[in-house]
Amino acid sequence: MPADAKLSHTAAMILQAIHAGHIYGFSVMQMTGLPSGTVYPAMRRLERDGLIVSKWEQQSIADTEQRPPRKYYRLTRTGRTTLEAAWVRYPLLEKMIPTPVMERA
Amino acid sequence: MKRDELVTIFACANVRVASLLVPRANRAAWRAEWDAEIYHLRRASAAELSDSPGTTPLEFSRGAFPDAWWLCRDHLRSHGASAWQAGSAGRCVATLTALMGAALILCMILPGARRSLLPLFPSQAADLVTISPAGYAGAESPGISLQQYQEWQTNTQKLFSELAWYHPTVKNVVLAHESTARLSIGLASANFFRLLRVQVPDQASGGAGPTLVLTRSAWRTLYRSDPRIVGQSATIDGKSVLVAVLHDDSPRLPGAMQGWLFQDHAALRQLSPHARGFAFARIRDAAFPPARSGVRIMLETRWGITHVFDCVSISWLTWQPTSNFLFALLLACLALPATTALPLGDYPRYRGRMVFRITVRRWSFLVLKLLLLVAAVYLATIALGRGPAWAGSTSVFLQVGAAFPALLFGFRWALQDQRRRCPECLRQLSSPARVGQASCNFLSWNGTELFCIRGHGLLHIPELPTSWFSTQRWLCLDSSWRCLFPENCAPSPEMI
Repeated sequence: MPADAKLSHTAAMILQAIHAGHIYGFSVMQMTGLPSGTVYPAMRRLERDGLIVSKWEQQSIADTEQRPPRKYYRLTRTGRTTLEAAWVRYPLLEKMIPTPVMERA
Repeated sequence: MKRDELVTIFACANVRVASLLVPRANRAAWRAEWDAEIYHLRRASAAELSDSPGTTPLEFSRGAFPDAWWLCRDHLRSHGASAWQAGSAGRCVATLTALMGAALILCMILPGARRSLLPLFPSQAADLVTISPAGYAGAESPGISLQQYQEWQTNTQKLFSELAWYHPTVKNVVLAHESTARLSIGLASANFFRLLRVQVPDQASGGAGPTLVLTRSAWRTLYRSDPRIVGQSATIDGKSVLVAVLHDDSPRLPGAMQGWLFQDHAALRQLSPHARGFAFARIRDAAFPPARSGVRIMLETRWGITHVFDCVSISWLTWQPTSNFLFALLLACLALPATTALPLGDYPRYRGRMVFRITVRRWSFLVLKLLLLVAAVYLATIALGRGPAWAGSTSVFLQVGAAFPALLFGFRWALQDQRRRCPECLRQLSSPARVGQASCNFLSWNGTELFCIRGHGLLHIPELPTSWFSTQRWLCLDSSWRCLFPENCAPSPEMI
């Protein structure tokens, strides 16, 4: 997927949420207010297009906390470029889901 | 059991059911992700952290269905696309199936070819024969005159127990509430259906006057299966006839008749004695010795000239196109080793489950390809030989003459295509490269090298077969080589 590709508002919100540090599917749902039936397919699509990547957390961490391991998502370099393009298109995106840096500012 | 636990059980059951849609390779990981998310959702709910919509485990798990459905669709789309890529086995099979389908449609469109594929009569008695001028058995054009039929009725009683005849013609049929229709009608002798042992409709057997018996297909297509016209009167050539409809589509007779009008002796006499038609008879076995090929010869001398007629058994006529094709198939099989090498090459022995996965699939593909090819050629040659109204012998020559080269070149292509495919993924090999020098043939190997685009291996084809390298060899590459090949070197996205 080209970095300057236009994202839908939903996809841009999900990218912004992941960028803001909400790296699990459920936390993306909480942050964006979107239902699970929208968030998860959208994240699969973003992953397929190379805008985000997923990884399983280490089993040892999950074992220590006595819970199942979770899958987390991160932006790729292409995803970051695409998100920067989306900020121009959706100027309120950063205000809706502020990144930790912005919050500090 | 607490309500929360019950809800969680239902939520996990939802995820289990939805996981059936997920491709098997990703299913376990997909389920683990959803189970983990449900666990954390429960924990968040218990801590009353969640205030967003869709946060009870049951509501949350409903999202598993769209997610699983999206994965399923994406998998089908990507794998479906790879099956249709140029050179893939799926595309090859689909092309052959399409060819076979086109030939079948052609056979269904051409009446003569359709009749060759479908049975002629509901019951094909061995003593039922069609009489035609020599070499024209099964032809679409009528060859027996009314005069000949009438004379044979009296002077061939020792040969035939019963004789029937019909003359194909086109008539305007006027029904009371329908527009005038122009139908192909067979003016048949009164005993025609009795001789063929075709069940006569009740209206026709009542003896209430002349009856027009429509074929089932004509009733369906021309009168839209209107039940009101059955038993109604119609007008043909100014005469009133009763309309009846046959119980089924049989018999399929030459001339593609849409209806039958039975004529008694007096009515037949009104036709021209030179009117030509088709004759059928029941033969007496005692008079006609059983012939090996199903064809009996009848000689008739008239005004010092001897005329030869073929009395061809209906069952033989039905089987003839297939037997002609089988003959061409036998010839092609015999000629094949003389025109191309039969060995498919040396392949390494796969072990364990790989034997089933690779060897069986490779052979199944070859067998399927050959079967589709044979079926396509069979149907195409039936359409060519039986579709147009050729004379009987011309039809046979055309069918065998077309089937033999088509089968021979088809088999050659199937073998050559099989040799140029990867034994693992069955895709066509690409990028042929010359290796070695022809001048060094005595001391080292030279020939052509091809590779599988997915990196399964290399195929070496010797330029000159030698005692140490007589046939092509397949060299398997293990998975460590895969990243060098074009289809496997998609770079992983870089994390930031």
